[in-house]
Amino acid sequence: MRAMYLANYFVAGCIASSFLGWIASLHPMAFRAIAFLLVALGIVWTAAWLLDYSLSQFLKISIQQLQAVLVSVLAFLIIGLGVFLCS
Amino acid sequence: MLLKLIVLSSASLTLWLVPLVGLDKKVGWHKGIQGASLCAALACAVTAGNIARQLADESEIQELKTRAIKADVEDEIATEVYISQAQRQQEAEAVLNPVERLERALALSCGDEDGTANVQNEIQAEDAEERRAERVLELKAKGWGKAKIILEVWGVSKGGSQKYKDAETLYERLIKGET
Repeated sequence: MRAMYLANYFVAGCIASSFLGWIASLHPMAFRAIAFLLVALGIVWTAAWLLDYSLSQFLKISIQQLQAVLVSVLAFLIIGLGVFLCS
Repeated sequence: MLLKLIVLSSASLTLWLVPLVGLDKKVGWHKGIQGASLCAALACAVTAGNIARQLADESEIQELKTRAIKADVEDEIATEVYISQAQRQQEAEAVLNPVERLERALALSCGDEDGTANVQNEIQAEDAEERRAERVLELKAKGWGKAKIILEVWGVSKGGSQKYKDAETLYERLIKGET
C-alpha cells in the first residue's frame, strides 16, 4: 500500500508537469514564466544536491529519503513534460 | 476504499494521457478540454494518494497490533513450557533421588524430636506441680504453718524476697484450688 501511495503522488507530479507545459503553450508570456519557474526549480534542485546533509538535518529526514525525493522530482518533470511535448 | 483508490488511480492516468494524445493542441476547444482533464487528473491522483496513504497507515497499525498479539502469545507459550519443564524436572528428581527423600524424612523426624522433648518437659513440670501440691496438703493436714510449709516444699525462708513471694503465691493457689 505504501508503494501505491508513492506511485499515486508520483503520477500527480507527472500530471502537474504536463499541466505546466499546457500553461506554457497558452501564451508566450506564460511560456517565459514557466521557463523561469523551471530554471529556478533547477537551481534549487542542484543546491539541494549540494547541501543534502544540512538540508536533511533541517527537514529531519534521512539522506536517502532526500535523494529519493530529488530523483523523483527530476523523473516526474521529465516524464510529464515529455508526455506533453511528444503528444 | 480500495475500489475507490483503484478507480481514482486509473481515472487520473486516463484523464492525463487520453486527452493529450487524442486531441489536437491547435484547436481551441480541444486545448480547453486538455486543460480541464489535466486539472481533473491532478485532483484524482492527489486524492488517490491521500487514500492510499491512509490505508497504508491503517495497515501498518494493524500489523503492529498483530505483531504485539503474536509476541504475547509466544511469551505465554514460552512461560508455560518453562513452568512445565521445571515441574517435570522436579518430579524426575524426586523419583530418581531417593537419598534426598530419605534425608528430608530424617530432617522431619529430627524436627519431631524437638517437639516431643517440649511435650515431655511440660509433662514433667505438671508432675512436679502435682507432687508439690500433695506434699503441701499433707503438711497442712499435719498442722504445719504457712512459712514452715513454704520452707519445706520450696526451700525459701520467710522474708521479702521475690522467691518467697512467688512461692507464697503458688501456695495460696494450691490451697484455694483444694478448697
